Amino acid sequence: MSENLEPPYTVDEFVNAEREMTRLTEASLKKYNKNTNVMFGKLSDLTREMSKGVVNWSRKNSLWPLQFGLACCAIELMDFGASRIDAERKGYLLFRGTPRQCDVMIVAGWVTKSMVPRIKRLYEQMAEPKYVIAFGECATSGGPWWESYNIIQGIDQVLPVDVYAIGCPPKPENLFGALMKLQEKIGGKIDRDKERGITESIEKK
Amino acid sequence: MPRMKINVGPIHPSTHGVLRLIVDVDGDTIMDVEPHIGFLHRGVEKLMETRMYMQNPSYTEKLDYVAPMGWDDLYVSAVELAIGVEVSEPAQYARMILLELQRIASHLLWLGTLANDLGQMFTVFMWAFRERAKVLKLLEDVTGSRMFYVNFRLGGLSSELPIDFEDRTLALMDYLEEHVREYTYHLDSNPIFMERTKNIGVLTKKNAIDYGVTGPVARASGIDFDVRKELSYYMYKKIKFNTPVLSNGDCYDRYKIRFIEIQESINIIRACVQKMPKGSVKGAPIKLIGQPAKIDNIIIQHRELPRGEGIIYLVPEAQRPYRIALRSPSYINLSVLPHLSKGAKYADLFAILGSLDVVMAEIDK
Repeated sequence: MSENLEPPYTVDEFVNAEREMTRLTEASLKKYNKNTNVMFGKLSDLTREMSKGVVNWSRKNSLWPLQFGLACCAIELMDFGASRIDAERKGYLLFRGTPRQCDVMIVAGWVTKSMVPRIKRLYEQMAEPKYVIAFGECATSGGPWWESYNIIQGIDQVLPVDVYAIGCPPKPENLFGALMKLQEKIGGKIDRDKERGITESIEKK
Repeated sequence: MPRMKINVGPIHPSTHGVLRLIVDVDGDTIMDVEPHIGFLHRGVEKLMETRMYMQNPSYTEKLDYVAPMGWDDLYVSAVELAIGVEVSEPAQYARMILLELQRIASHLLWLGTLANDLGQMFTVFMWAFRERAKVLKLLEDVTGSRMFYVNFRLGGLSSELPIDFEDRTLALMDYLEEHVREYTYHLDSNPIFMERTKNIGVLTKKNAIDYGVTGPVARASGIDFDVRKELSYYMYKKIKFNTPVLSNGDCYDRYKIRFIEIQESINIIRACVQKMPKGSVKGAPIKLIGQPAKIDNIIIQHRELPRGEGIIYLVPEAQRPYRIALRSPSYINLSVLPHLSKGAKYADLFAILGSLDVVMAEIDK
């Protein structure tokens, strides 16, 4: 049985074959005239641009938040998921229990030093593209605990934050507004990379 | 089956906060549970010593964020004892109404999440939040804030009650009484819910006394202890109300007792609205340097919070507390969890934990 499982080629042969394939494709591409190449390139650019809009549109209208509450603000998060605010009509679907299925992490509550590695790990487990909302004073700046010995002054010291929702705690309507702001960002109305660049440059300082 | 250890949390939808449990299981049977706490620790007691007296309610409220007003009342009444401020009779009734409204809101939230934990996905949760939103709306109109009110002042409340407060409260009570009854269709007559709560996590009367549990958890085990009756504060002595006591001490009784407590709170609020005399409920405005407290006495104040008995131990200085220690009921109630879940099935762990009704911020302080 074990003999049958061995691959029919060695690693060297496989690598060589791959190189040979690339060489052949490049050679065959050279045979076509220049104009066709340019046309192909423009077409692929065009499709990419067109699909970018479609992808962003579908991305922003099916946001899956992570079910992840830390402290007081998690109660307002529960209210957000309940019947009074029907968030699904705007495309915020069910709160999921695992980070692997989620797009948005809503940090609701104060972040203690012992929670930082765990939150980081949750963030790393989420699939790209991923977004972070700092929900409430504590996640934004440390809130009333800013001088405590066990609290970090805002989640933006650890993770790149996309939208801040401010209040103690913010109303569920405020979270709804924050998520709509995030949708604008994903849809391209606000330049997300540019804003992130600013925060990163601050972090480096 | 081989024994193994399962790590639950600290971030888990059913642990009601940031609680980490290390569960030692033999097959499906729990041999031991080891709760790890402290993920929300921020040093409240130390921070409170650095603030003036009336700056602190915004800290005490964040201890129990499901029922913030209870801790608010406990702290402010301790300060009133330290300074020697009398609360006027209308203000006492107003405080009682607000506290009982808060108790109803807290129990409703608990009911919804417990039903979610037990697989009654979202029906009771949605209903409970619908009712809770109405209670919070009333509290918001009285205090100006939805969740953290900070409306208790020395000798009263921050502002007068709205003109239509009594009518609105009575109308809300009628609404609640009618709608809360509906939950029994989904819970008491639901065989799955009954099977997952009846005779699960039984806490005997002796064990309840030994562990020192209080509040609904103790009353479900047959201990007739309610601070509202024993150390009758405010006008609770002038109002007839029952403190329900059940005897089985299982998860179902712990659910049922809170359910009856909601109805009992409705009765208390109705009686309060009837008996409330006319007059100002407004307390003293906040001053950074106010009336000084007597330095040589030590204050110990008790209150019946929705989760059990809360105690505050306060050594006063003239303008701010010298030392504060808090006895949070959730912390004591959580200590029963390893005892209750020994020998239970793994799936019952969350029924037991949910029925204890813990709030992690109160435990970690």
